[in-house]
Amino acid sequence: MGLFDRLANLLGLKKKEVNVLVVGLNNSGKSTVINNFKREDDRCIDIVPTVGYNVEKFSFKNVNFTAFDMSGHDRHRPLWEHYYKDCHGIIFIIDSSDKLRLVVVKEELDMLLQHPDIAGRKIPILFLANKMDLPDSLTTVKLVAGLGLDRIQNKPWHIRATNAITGEGLQLGIEWLTDQIRDIYINKR
Amino acid sequence: MNAFKRDKKEEEDGGGNPFQNLEKTTVLQEARTFNDTPVNPRKCAHILTKILYLLNQGEQLGTMEATEAFFAMTKLFQSRDVVLRRLVYLGIKELSSLAEDVIIVTSSLTKDMTGKEDLYRAAAIRALCTITDGGMLAAIERYMKQAIVDRSPAVSSAALVSSLHLTNVSGDVARRWANEAQEALNSNNVMVQYHALGVLYQARKADKHAVIKLVAKLMRTSPKSPYAACMLIRMACKLLDEVDKGEELLGFIESCLRHKSEMVVYEAAHALINLGRSCTKEITPAISVLQLFCGSQKPALRFAAVRTLNKVAMSHPTAVTACNLDLENLITDSNRSIATLAITTLLKTGAESSVDRLMKQIATFVSEISDEFKVVVVQAIRALCQKYPRKHAVLMNFLSAMLRDEGGLEYKAAIADTIIAVMEVNAEAKEAGLAHLCEFIEDCEHNSLAVRILHLLGQEGPTSKQPSRYIRFIYNRVILESASVRAAAVTALARFAAACPPLLPNVLVLLSRCQLDSDDEVRDRAAYYCAILQQQNEPTILPLVQPPLLSVPSLERALRNYMQTPMDEPFDISQIPPAQTVEEPTQVEVHTTVKQQPRLTREESFMEKLSQIPHLTMIIRDSSLLKSSPVFELTESETEYNVKCIKHMFTEFLILQFDCVNTLSDQLLEDVRVAVEPPEGYTILCEVPCPRLPYNELGTTYTVLRYPEDVHASVATIPTTLRFMARDCDPATGVPDADQGYNDEYMLEDLEITLADQVRGIGNRGVDFNAAWEAAGAKGFSKLEETFALGSSVTSLEGAIQSLTGFLGLDAAERTNRVQSGAAAHNLLLSGIFRGGKEVLARARLALSDNQVTMQLTVLCQDPDVAELIISSVG
Repeated sequence: MGLFDRLANLLGLKKKEVNVLVVGLNNSGKSTVINNFKREDDRCIDIVPTVGYNVEKFSFKNVNFTAFDMSGHDRHRPLWEHYYKDCHGIIFIIDSSDKLRLVVVKEELDMLLQHPDIAGRKIPILFLANKMDLPDSLTTVKLVAGLGLDRIQNKPWHIRATNAITGEGLQLGIEWLTDQIRDIYINKR
Repeated sequence: MNAFKRDKKEEEDGGGNPFQNLEKTTVLQEARTFNDTPVNPRKCAHILTKILYLLNQGEQLGTMEATEAFFAMTKLFQSRDVVLRRLVYLGIKELSSLAEDVIIVTSSLTKDMTGKEDLYRAAAIRALCTITDGGMLAAIERYMKQAIVDRSPAVSSAALVSSLHLTNVSGDVARRWANEAQEALNSNNVMVQYHALGVLYQARKADKHAVIKLVAKLMRTSPKSPYAACMLIRMACKLLDEVDKGEELLGFIESCLRHKSEMVVYEAAHALINLGRSCTKEITPAISVLQLFCGSQKPALRFAAVRTLNKVAMSHPTAVTACNLDLENLITDSNRSIATLAITTLLKTGAESSVDRLMKQIATFVSEISDEFKVVVVQAIRALCQKYPRKHAVLMNFLSAMLRDEGGLEYKAAIADTIIAVMEVNAEAKEAGLAHLCEFIEDCEHNSLAVRILHLLGQEGPTSKQPSRYIRFIYNRVILESASVRAAAVTALARFAAACPPLLPNVLVLLSRCQLDSDDEVRDRAAYYCAILQQQNEPTILPLVQPPLLSVPSLERALRNYMQTPMDEPFDISQIPPAQTVEEPTQVEVHTTVKQQPRLTREESFMEKLSQIPHLTMIIRDSSLLKSSPVFELTESETEYNVKCIKHMFTEFLILQFDCVNTLSDQLLEDVRVAVEPPEGYTILCEVPCPRLPYNELGTTYTVLRYPEDVHASVATIPTTLRFMARDCDPATGVPDADQGYNDEYMLEDLEITLADQVRGIGNRGVDFNAAWEAAGAKGFSKLEETFALGSSVTSLEGAIQSLTGFLGLDAAERTNRVQSGAAAHNLLLSGIFRGGKEVLARARLALSDNQVTMQLTVLCQDPDVAELIISSVG
């Protein structure tokens, strides 16, 4: 590391690298959300179902995010756990209009929270209640109750209603996550 | 300190291999670095290279290890380093078959293959196709179709080749993407065009007419890419083999001889020569093209040309004669492979007079060429010996010189094989050949070869002019060599003593010395032979010295059975079938010296199978299988039910094994059996039906018949019928409909039980036929003699011998099945065993006049009925 780098690091100017994991059921809008975080000219126009996972990079408030955008297909959900170990934050996306599969969401969430690589760590989780624009979408309050989010004790979490197509609510959500990660990982060092 | 030394040594070796001392566990431990954030591309690239190196060295990774390494590697997709990314693609390809859940990278790869970075795209496609399974194919189909018609030739080629690989995953991929491939065929890039043609062919492969259409269309426009043109020629050749008329195809291939690319010209010439039905007229233009290539500047072209000429010289020597002058020029070619092939070609085509000169030429550099080509030379000499028997002196000298040179086992074995083969066909060469071989074993480092030659000396030496001279060579082995060679030498010595009574006292002295050997086997053999040779001195002891090779499992079974009897009568060894001799491949060109594992004979494996069937075990327990007949088809191959029969002959009865296949997908057969009408004298002992015969599966039913008392009635024709209960079933699942089935039957062809079925030949070299013939008379065998004029279908002595041995089931003894060319009369000696251990000896005097063969057949057998049966069945 050069002298300049060390100086910049000391002053907090150096950009921080963090990994976040983006999970959720299929068709909840994970890739669309990540697409929205990217710069205008990097965005792709049509989003297709992800097979496996995608790595995307974007930066927000001087923090460089590497997002592992996982496939939500039921066949691929068991593969999420391979990436739990070294992530600094989780973005959990819920399709708030899909009442039917809310139980599936809860099951997947519980499995994630109980995983040994996640359970003991203080790791911020950002819940995005996506598709808020749809007429019969659930409110965040109902989702908190439905998923039992209030029982999460050892991790900071935050829920926000979003619309990934227009980008509504996303900025505020990522801001919260960035602050949390800064608090937990960067300032501690 | 050690490490330091090693480093120093490596330095001296010129750098050494930096990956030499890698250990799997350490490297996999290091692979955890992949999980670090941020990724260090240089370090990760180095570790990934180590993993790839290990995999390519044949290191085995467990599923767990591979999966862990694979998922660690997927983290590297976050790096934008080009080198690292391409290494990741390689890693994916290597690990795709070992790790689980490899589809995780599908989206990452599709992103790369559609992305802007051209360096990634082709490689990503190739990696993608290795991780795709049948289920994922639909997800990537759209991208693949786009990639096939991509502007970049690298991407397009990668996609086309990948789709060929994907046909292993899903058969119809090529067909589904044929439209895109058709578009790619018009590409300007030579590789894309070639690969597109490959995909189009794959798509149409199953449909011959579609292939014909494709070839016909392309023939007119003739593809620009030389690779595609070569492929087209191969497709045309394949079609020519399949379809009857192909003047147009042939014309196309011929026109390719004038193509501007040398590759295409060679391919066309090669194709014309290798066409199964080509005659001299057709290959002449191809040969003249090859002739031109012989004078080319490029060594590769010269090599290709001379190699093809070498091949064609076997089938059309006259056509190649035209190139002799060019081939002469190549003899001194600086490339030894070309020179060797040129000389061996000339040896095949040249006149007898040029042999000496060529041999001298080849001797100048034979030590410089590799073993592989030396073997080619040896094979050429072998062919030459058969062609010009008179030249054997020159060739033998040359071979013995080659034997003295350095060389591997394969090479030496090829030479020894050739010398032995020459000795077999040419009696004059025998003495010289044996002398050369004797000299060779004086200094032979290959035990297996030494043992083989000693065995040969033991067989051939005693009948040579001066047997005593070989004794010294053999006894030298006893003093100098390893145990296995010593044992072989002892056996060879014993044979000399048994066959040449004058040598007996001397050999006995030598053998008694061998009894002091340090090795058990050598001592045992020496003691055994001493005892036998001292007891009696008759030619009949030869079989004791040189026991016939019996099939060991059968011998064991027979002995076990014998132990259970009161053992009143002596054990009859003639019941035991001989061991399977490994047939040497007959063609001269392809000669393999691969050691074959001793395997069960056909009879033994059948015996095992039969004794596992509960109903049959009781019957066959106390009996040994004499012979199993070849497979005999009772139906045409295209019919609804296929039935094949194998006859297993035992002493008192025969087992008919019927292998049935049901080719109707909508029927399930139950209780299948083949009903036989026993002919007069025969009785059915037992029937084993096949309980269930589903579609396209092999079911077997057995019928056991007892022979009639009268041997004359044993040759019979048996009408057979297939009887079964048929039930209709669903073709897709094979589940039968609920309702009851119906009884049905199906007529089969008649089954014949012939004389040959009941006789097993014993064509053993070691048996002295004349001695046996004399002895048989003394033992009170009955003798029958009759003269026949053979039918008009037999017009040569060879034909007569073939039909006679086939008909009687007896084997020719003392190699009398070989007729000297041009002979008008021949003595054929036959021996065999009729079921029940009845020895049969026969002598057929054949005479040829005006394409008509007359035969006087004399049969000796202990059972007069059998002798009569043999005589009467010829008549």
